[in-house]
Amino acid sequence: MISRRSMLRTGASLAAAATVGTPAISHAQTKTLKITTWGGKWGDIMKATVLPVFEKEFKCTVSADQAFPFMPKLQASAKNDPLYDVFHTNSNEQWSALTEGLVMDKFTTKEVPNVADVHPWSVSDKIVGVAIFTSAIGLGYRTDKGLTPPKSWKDLADPKLAGARGGYLIPVNSLGQCHLMMLGKVYGKGLQDLDAAYKALEQLKPIKLVDFTGQMEKMLLSGEVSEGVIHDSGVYRYEGQNQPVDFASPSEGVMALEQVLNVPPGSKVKELAYAYIDYMLRPDVQKLLAEGVWYSPANKKVKLDAKYDAKLLTRPEKVATLIQPDWKWYNARKDDIDARVTKILKG
Amino acid sequence: MSAAPKRRPFDAGSAAYLALNLLLVAFLLAPIAIVVVFALNPTPYISFPPVGVSLRWFQKFFAGSDFMNALALSLWVALCVLVLSVVIGGACALALARGRLPGRTFLTAFFMSPLMLPAILTGLALFQSYLLAGIGRPVWGLIMAHTLVAVPYVLRTTLAVLHNFDHRIEEAAAALGASPTRVFFEVTLPLIRPGVFAGGVFAFIVSFDQFPVSLFLVMPKNETLPVVLFNYMKFDLDGAIAAASMVSILLALSVVLALERLIGLKAYVKL
Amino acid sequence: MTSATIKLENVTKTFDGKVVAVDGVTLDIAAGEFFSLLGPSGCGKTTSLRMIAGFEMPDSGRVHVGGQDITDVPVHRRDMGMVFQSYALFPHRTVAQNVAFGLRMRDVPKADIERRVAAALAQVALTGLEDRRPSQLSGGQQQRVALARALVIEPRVLLCDEPLGALDRKLRQQMQFELKELQRRLGVTLVFVTHDQEEALAMSDRIAVMNHGKVEQVGAPTEIYERPRTRFVADFIGEINLLEEGGQGRALRPEKIRLVTPAEARVSGTIETANFLGGATLYRVQAGGRTWLARETHAGERSPRGPGDPVGLAWNDTDVVALDA
Repeated sequence: MISRRSMLRTGASLAAAATVGTPAISHAQTKTLKITTWGGKWGDIMKATVLPVFEKEFKCTVSADQAFPFMPKLQASAKNDPLYDVFHTNSNEQWSALTEGLVMDKFTTKEVPNVADVHPWSVSDKIVGVAIFTSAIGLGYRTDKGLTPPKSWKDLADPKLAGARGGYLIPVNSLGQCHLMMLGKVYGKGLQDLDAAYKALEQLKPIKLVDFTGQMEKMLLSGEVSEGVIHDSGVYRYEGQNQPVDFASPSEGVMALEQVLNVPPGSKVKELAYAYIDYMLRPDVQKLLAEGVWYSPANKKVKLDAKYDAKLLTRPEKVATLIQPDWKWYNARKDDIDARVTKILKG
Repeated sequence: MSAAPKRRPFDAGSAAYLALNLLLVAFLLAPIAIVVVFALNPTPYISFPPVGVSLRWFQKFFAGSDFMNALALSLWVALCVLVLSVVIGGACALALARGRLPGRTFLTAFFMSPLMLPAILTGLALFQSYLLAGIGRPVWGLIMAHTLVAVPYVLRTTLAVLHNFDHRIEEAAAALGASPTRVFFEVTLPLIRPGVFAGGVFAFIVSFDQFPVSLFLVMPKNETLPVVLFNYMKFDLDGAIAAASMVSILLALSVVLALERLIGLKAYVKL
Repeated sequence: MTSATIKLENVTKTFDGKVVAVDGVTLDIAAGEFFSLLGPSGCGKTTSLRMIAGFEMPDSGRVHVGGQDITDVPVHRRDMGMVFQSYALFPHRTVAQNVAFGLRMRDVPKADIERRVAAALAQVALTGLEDRRPSQLSGGQQQRVALARALVIEPRVLLCDEPLGALDRKLRQQMQFELKELQRRLGVTLVFVTHDQEEALAMSDRIAVMNHGKVEQVGAPTEIYERPRTRFVADFIGEINLLEEGGQGRALRPEKIRLVTPAEARVSGTIETANFLGGATLYRVQAGGRTWLARETHAGERSPRGPGDPVGLAWNDTDVVALDA
């Protein structure tokens, strides 16, 4: 947790640093950059520091939409005059957007110079656009219930946890979808072994399911769930608040929940949009946000403070535990999967 | 049957009736009770029984500039919608009830149709129309959209009053020398006012609580309270949501009471 | 109070392009006359009244009041009083405010309004109820408010659309006297629509009997009663014996028939029923292959006749009325 004041201080140094040696796009003038972005703590930091600094530096105004749903709004607007210039979503939506021609495919160092410094996962073949952060999806658990810290995804199936384990609704939440793929890997031949995954899911009943991403941490905090699927940021954000919860990275690996930026091809201010993505990948911005919301940064050069460095995926050996789902493959079968898991979890 | 003792009026039937009524009341009030508990409970999650009483979520709500801007916008929009839908809905109802228009049934159904369409589609369709027309998403566009779905409420309550309205009262006024304009302001308007304002109260609440229509039509930094709450909930599911709900409920209630006081919705119940 | 003549000149009104409500009606109503439009529902009497008031526009024909063609004058400039069966009082105003309404519309000074409202209410015996709401009054009181409201503007013409229809019998009779008395005192021209023939006969100077949008006969009550011109009028007003002689319709009132011994009789038969009416008895008699109605008033003692008794019927030829159609 960083206080608002220290955040602003970092912001000020950010601004000072920005005046030197940035390939600033001087012809951007007072254009408006329309972006999507998250709310919550992330949104607070964006509005307080990150966006004002960007506006000042690039002499533009940023109109940040925090109101879901972004995808239908982008779909509804004209392709040659899209509602957004930068489209920030999780990875799976980017794949849907790509198949509809709503976003671009990949960025090179030509458009976004900082891409040169990112971890491979940020621009892997599982990513459309460029991922600027990732969370690790693993298992969260109560430390006051006498549970041994989970070491494997299989630990969630422990009969002792019946009725006290938690997961996400697979049709509506990508964390649930990641969990399902992970079940295929752990119990079957791989991430795409759906039959094994379905069988394993059956064994997890009874399970408490939530739809919003932020709900699982509340379930853990209130003790309604003793152990459940969750992203690391959802647990680490309570660091230092004496809450009896912790996060465990299972030995089989953690699933990636990437924060992806992309540009609709029809954007009228493409240069500015690229500049924004580049800015978001800059070490100082990455550090500010990573430490603010406990996201693992994409830029390898970021030096996080020790307590963050200890937990987030910064060192190569930890980055190696990150498994990226193939959303193109998943989205193509989503309807069948939804029908199947709904049946399984209903019975 | 005839020999059934009548000495105990509190028989099984009336007990069941009472129980059913209590159940209904409980069903209606339970969500509100949960909101109250959540809003006053200091933990950032719903816990039962509550661990204490605190106003920290109210503080968070009132200190949040996003919340306050949204609240102000929602109130402003709802007030505009109230005025517009009362004028438009009232005029429509009069035209439909009195105008001897051809295709009256069709027209009535047409003006009611915003209620038939899922509001989310209304919102999406307007959003696309606005974009196509190059209007963007100004606040007046949002007000128009809310008015569209609020007018049927005014229309319906006003038509109900007009349905029971003795047209001869207006004729009597005309015969006594009142011009059509004076008939309207001296007789028609005072008599349909309860219906119009009952509809107006609905319109205010429909707008103030409106989520699906607003979803697509709000602009960044110009979001109504329900939209802000929805998006807040996706990231921070804490008591501030419940506090906001409490404030919303109390505000809506006070508007209804204020209108009641000002206009006296009960004044002409004995028509 | 001034009064005015009313003249309807070949007035026709059609609704929805199909239903002919009023079909070429011509009427001359004298100033200060109590004139009734009488007929069954749907005969066009109310529509005729509403055209005089200006609520309906005639399709053709003209309406004159006080010698002026007012066909195109809107309602609120016609200066007429109007009383409805439903009273049509303003429910959101007090009695005094109801009565004051027409004066306010005429921009009468406030002091005058108060004085005239008080006088009008005194005229209908409602003094003391000024601050009540219509809903707090009885039906008869409401009707008086409606009357006061219509009369306070001193109209040239007072139009009444079945004004007593909603009152019970006793109250209706009392109001009939009051209304007639008030009209005579004020001298206002009064057009009275009713389907109640007794009411029309009791109150009117003249009556127009209407049927299917047309005027069947206009005349004084005695004339309408004694000398009905058409079969419809004869049948509609009171009881009647309709006779058919050589293709010519004739009518004979029951009270013109005398119950006599078979020797003096024109026809003889037996009594079927005898209905005691208080001041008279109405007999239904089977004679000459038909049913006769005969009314015997009890000037002296009541005749001791009952069902099954043989009886003879006699009448004067002068009492038989020849009908047009």
